[in-house]
Amino acid sequence: MKLLKYTIYRLLQAIPVLIGISVITFLLANLGPGDPVSLMLQGQEHSEELVRAIEQRYGLDRPLHERYITYMSGLLEGDLGQSIYYQRPVSALILDRLGPTLLLVLSAYAFALVTAIPLGVVAANRRNEPTDHASRVAALFGVSTPSFWIGIVLILIFAVKLGWLPSSGLYYPWRPPSSYPGINGHLELYYETARHLLLPMIALGTLQMATIMRVERTQMIESLQGEYVKLARAYGVPERTILRKHAFQVAQLPIITIVGANLSTAIGGAVLTETVFNINGMGQLFIEAIQQNDYQLVMGITMMLGFLFVVGVIITDISYAYVDPRVTYGERD
Amino acid sequence: MSSEPLLRVENLKTQFFTETGTVRAVDGISFEVREGEIVGLVGESGAGKSVASMSLLRLVENPGEIVAGEITYKGETIFGLEEGPDGELQERDDMLSNEEIRTRIRGNEIAVIFQDPMESLNPVFTVGGQLREFIELNRGLSKDEAKTEAIDMLREVGIPDPEERYEEYPHQFSGGMRQRVLIAMALACEPSLIIADEPTTALDVTVEGQILDLVDDLQDKYGTSFIWVTHDMGVVAEICDRVNVMYLGEIVEQAPVDELFYDTKHPYTNALLNSIPRPDRTVTELEAIEGVMPEAINPPSGCRFHPRCPDAREVCKRVHPEAKTVADADGEAHRAACVKHDAFDAGYEDSSMLEGAVGSTEREPESELAVNPAGDDSGGEGRE
Repeated sequence: MKLLKYTIYRLLQAIPVLIGISVITFLLANLGPGDPVSLMLQGQEHSEELVRAIEQRYGLDRPLHERYITYMSGLLEGDLGQSIYYQRPVSALILDRLGPTLLLVLSAYAFALVTAIPLGVVAANRRNEPTDHASRVAALFGVSTPSFWIGIVLILIFAVKLGWLPSSGLYYPWRPPSSYPGINGHLELYYETARHLLLPMIALGTLQMATIMRVERTQMIESLQGEYVKLARAYGVPERTILRKHAFQVAQLPIITIVGANLSTAIGGAVLTETVFNINGMGQLFIEAIQQNDYQLVMGITMMLGFLFVVGVIITDISYAYVDPRVTYGERD
Repeated sequence: MSSEPLLRVENLKTQFFTETGTVRAVDGISFEVREGEIVGLVGESGAGKSVASMSLLRLVENPGEIVAGEITYKGETIFGLEEGPDGELQERDDMLSNEEIRTRIRGNEIAVIFQDPMESLNPVFTVGGQLREFIELNRGLSKDEAKTEAIDMLREVGIPDPEERYEEYPHQFSGGMRQRVLIAMALACEPSLIIADEPTTALDVTVEGQILDLVDDLQDKYGTSFIWVTHDMGVVAEICDRVNVMYLGEIVEQAPVDELFYDTKHPYTNALLNSIPRPDRTVTELEAIEGVMPEAINPPSGCRFHPRCPDAREVCKRVHPEAKTVADADGEAHRAACVKHDAFDAGYEDSSMLEGAVGSTEREPESELAVNPAGDDSGGEGRE
């Protein structure tokens, strides 16, 4: 029950953070350069009255704090305002585009974890041997290469040269198969999703993989030198068990932190990856919103990303409390 | 007295091959452990005690390696070399394989208790789980049997509410309690020999006392032999039957505990004994050993202790003494490696005193002793 209390406590702590995010995004969107009204008019001839009317319609004639309060009370009801460019509710636009982005980010993380953890363990176990050196060079490459460049190279090789995989677009597995021409049944749809997802997943996941692998290697090396490993050896525990259980479990704790803390870079990377692979996710929506100076949409997406990040960090913290018995659930005495 | 000791170590040499040179951490030590006795392995930090004890389990870490000697346990060869057909030394056929060492020796025959109870337990597993795993592995019990055994053992080492504490994690235990857990681990595997590597060094004095009493009781009850590695002569006096004093990779004196204390034959042992604080003396009279122990990578010539020895003479710089029997203690050999004894016949009496030798302190009037030895603690170094 201590854990439940901790979870609730942690969720409550997120409220001031979210308010902070809303204040900053609101100020940036409203005080930044670019006047939405003149953008809407697109340089057409216009009268003073027209400008007044537009300002009144969007509430731009009222003082800033009033507009903030209006915005926030709308937010509590799930209303993120109206997109000026699309002339649709911001929340509906985001909901449309959230799916592909989440799918991309989660599969990139899955790819990163599944590859990085075994690689890190092997590298640590064969420290300073060729396997270790090779994986460290690969990790250095992964950390220092931007995801869009990896994406372009992957497209060049696997889509253009070899023609094995598609270079753009995405099939959404949550839509009925009938909505896609030429797709029969769910299995075929999932297969297409996987084919389309593979390259962007690798492009986005490489940075995460490299980061996680480096941490995993360092942690495993440290863990393997621990006194508890010495003790296990002295009691005849097989080396395999030491590697997979005794040293491994201790080494995983910091990985959870890395995953949580890197969520922001992953979402940032998703924006670029979506552009390269032409996936209609939040990233593309965000870029359009900025280009069109659609401040309502920019604000809505920023709030959404901020919210996702905060949720990610909370999940990290809570899972840490579940995994590490030493975490004291924030109770002080 | 049984004919064959439980453990016999002969001329064991363990070296570390580092970039700066070969460190002769253990340099030809011989000792034995008989059934049911506690044998002390005493010396300063860096004397090679821990390396020596880990060599017994063939658990020397890279870049260390056992390079010579023979370790026999219950008639089985833990380590032994012989000359191969090509004249090179090779491992003997009867030497236990790595797998045999792991399954037949480690834990179930020779168990260890490490120095640092705070670090020795795995932080992410429950105390009981770790205990149970080792019992399962070394005694071939089922999970449930091992659990029952683990709880019994926790009770045996004086942990209150063992059923509840079985489910707890190491961070919920105090240092003394964790050391009890480690002792329980060692005993639960029912070994014939336990290597205790400075098990009380990290604990405070009152807890140390409790742990020593506990070990004493349990040793009586189970008849397990111990190798007790320590730098604390007080602990040696309390629990050891026989003592080996190590200095820079060598055993310089070997004797039953009473003889060691009351008929000390090596100046280093003497210096160790003099450096124990005693309630009947004031602190200023405490005699710290001059200087620090030199590096094992480049040991002094002759007797390795001569730069710090109060009795050193010119001959000590030249002659390297191997330990010899210098006295008889009720049928037990009292061995020492110091040329001042007649057994060595190295011309110690005729040899000139070393210039500026620390030695004079022993013969100086009492008042001189009041000088704080720390005042010239550079004396030991740079005298080569």
